[in-house]
Amino acid sequence: MSNLLHHHRLKLTALFLAANLGLLLHLAAGDLKAMAEWVWLDVVGEGGSALLALVWLGLILKSRPAGRVTNLLAIGLSCVFFSWWIDLLDEFIRLPDSVVWDHWLESGPMPVGLLFLTYGIYHWHHEQLAISQQMEKRERLSREHRLFDKLTPLGGADYLRRQLQLSVQHSAQAQQPLSLVVVDINNFDGINQRYGHDEGDRVLQAMTQLLLLNVRQQDLLCRLAGDRFVVLLPATGETLANQFAGELAEAVRHLAHKSRQHGERIQLSATVATVMALQETPDSLLQRLNLALAKAKRPLALSA
Amino acid sequence: MTLACPWYECDSRLIAAHQQPATLIELCLSRGIDSHRLLRGTGLFIEDVPNADTLISPTQFLTLIDNAQRLLGADDSSFLFGQRLLPGHHGAASQALALANNLQQALELLGELRALLSPLLSPRLLLDEQHAYVYWLDSCGAGSQARFLLEANMTAVVAMSRRLGGEHLPWQCHFRQAPPRYIEQYWVNLGEDLHFNRPYNLLRLPRECLTRAWPQTVQSTAQVACQQARQQLHDLGAEASLLDTLQRWLFRHVREAPNLDHAAAAFAMSPATMKRKLHKHGTSYQEQHDQIRMLVALYLYQVKGYSNDEVASHLRFHDATNFRRSFKRWTGLAPSALLAVLRG
Repeated sequence: MSNLLHHHRLKLTALFLAANLGLLLHLAAGDLKAMAEWVWLDVVGEGGSALLALVWLGLILKSRPAGRVTNLLAIGLSCVFFSWWIDLLDEFIRLPDSVVWDHWLESGPMPVGLLFLTYGIYHWHHEQLAISQQMEKRERLSREHRLFDKLTPLGGADYLRRQLQLSVQHSAQAQQPLSLVVVDINNFDGINQRYGHDEGDRVLQAMTQLLLLNVRQQDLLCRLAGDRFVVLLPATGETLANQFAGELAEAVRHLAHKSRQHGERIQLSATVATVMALQETPDSLLQRLNLALAKAKRPLALSA
Repeated sequence: MTLACPWYECDSRLIAAHQQPATLIELCLSRGIDSHRLLRGTGLFIEDVPNADTLISPTQFLTLIDNAQRLLGADDSSFLFGQRLLPGHHGAASQALALANNLQQALELLGELRALLSPLLSPRLLLDEQHAYVYWLDSCGAGSQARFLLEANMTAVVAMSRRLGGEHLPWQCHFRQAPPRYIEQYWVNLGEDLHFNRPYNLLRLPRECLTRAWPQTVQSTAQVACQQARQQLHDLGAEASLLDTLQRWLFRHVREAPNLDHAAAAFAMSPATMKRKLHKHGTSYQEQHDQIRMLVALYLYQVKGYSNDEVASHLRFHDATNFRRSFKRWTGLAPSALLAVLRG
């Protein structure tokens, strides 16, 4: 909350002053209506609308980074709020018929605000396209923020399950193979012990970026759990998947991650395994993938 | 610091805030959780946590766990906590664990020092000819936090054995619960050998893994650490919780089919007081008694190879039919059916 006030001090102060000015002008020019004259339906309708506009404004300012699009949306919503606010004042204050500026105050800002809002939303749309492009390889077709992993900018196991469900169906219809690669960091617990859990978290974040660089545009990377990542490879057979898996393991081996505290290189390596999807549920597919990984890990049980 | 009775209860202040609770608090803070929201309702202040004298009760710790779980809102919270638990940074007790000769010694220490190392869920070690079993019983009325605690404690033991022994051991994990939605967390932290819908929560390991020498032993330091830890336990005034003490008493007296009055007399309190205290821990005498009888029955079947009649008479049932009915109430399955599942 304090952050919000701090960043948008100017905008909020201007809106506050404008709303007050409107109120003072009305009070100066007109007189208060008796309570019996209040039309409650209008008070609730117009007051509620003004309040909602204010809530939208707050949510927009709170959830978006400052910038051009945010400014456009904020100006638009401020005008809309101002219009409804003046409309609401009418319900409590009677202005003499000779006064005409109140119509301008009431109806003028609304179309201007809506124009700003429309222009802002149009740019928001472009911004979303740009962000979606950045999310490439991390999400496919559908977005569900509740399934995002909390540590890395990837989808978690539940997101992966949903995508598997769709992809298995789709690949069966299209008669195309579908493969999964799992990448598991060797001796990750040792890294946590030696360099601390915060460094372990940074290793996971570095791994995320590295793996994203090494998968194709149509692939999907998710974090299954802990230090275990899964890549979903549509239209990919087992041979190609094995080749990709080998490449990912190579990439991890060559990643020269440096610890934050002393800057020394943390030697990383990963075990990989692949499975090709059959007609099966996401759970049994993941189960098979996990067993394949356990098998791949066995020879190096001592170091893993 | 000394408690009036030889056990601790869910409202006894004996958990050092700078040990296990601080581990959880640090985990939450590293994930950007607000400390005020985390400590809400726990009666604990963030500035008191690093203080060596700050002690909290099991109930306070459970509230903290509840808050942490809710605020972290992730499936891996219990496992991340568990990875940090053992040998951990809990003073001499942790040092003694870290310097143990082998896994068996570490597990025995974990049992002996449970009031210091695992105050909410008491671990037990059981050996037969082929296997070692580690299982956990609720010792403070964990309620809805039971699963979190079990996941954390199992992860802690598996991670400790890997860390100190330097190798992956073939742990087999048994759970009372059905397979969870987030099974991948179990795979990553506990391995692939998972069995759900079992009558107990336990880890099983081939016995020869227990006595493989661990590399980092320093005999004399280890002994000093053990002595210090025992002194701390002594200063605490309680080796185990009330539930834990009762469970052990029931194990010892299971052949006499004791009732609430017998137990209350052995604990030098009135049956009404006993009942009230158990109620405070979210359980009842019947529940505790049934739990122990079920474990003993399974032990007799699986390890000793007893027949239905032998188990029934060991537990002082009038006849095998009566026993089978009770067994079905405890586990949901008749003995033969359950044993078939366990063997399968």
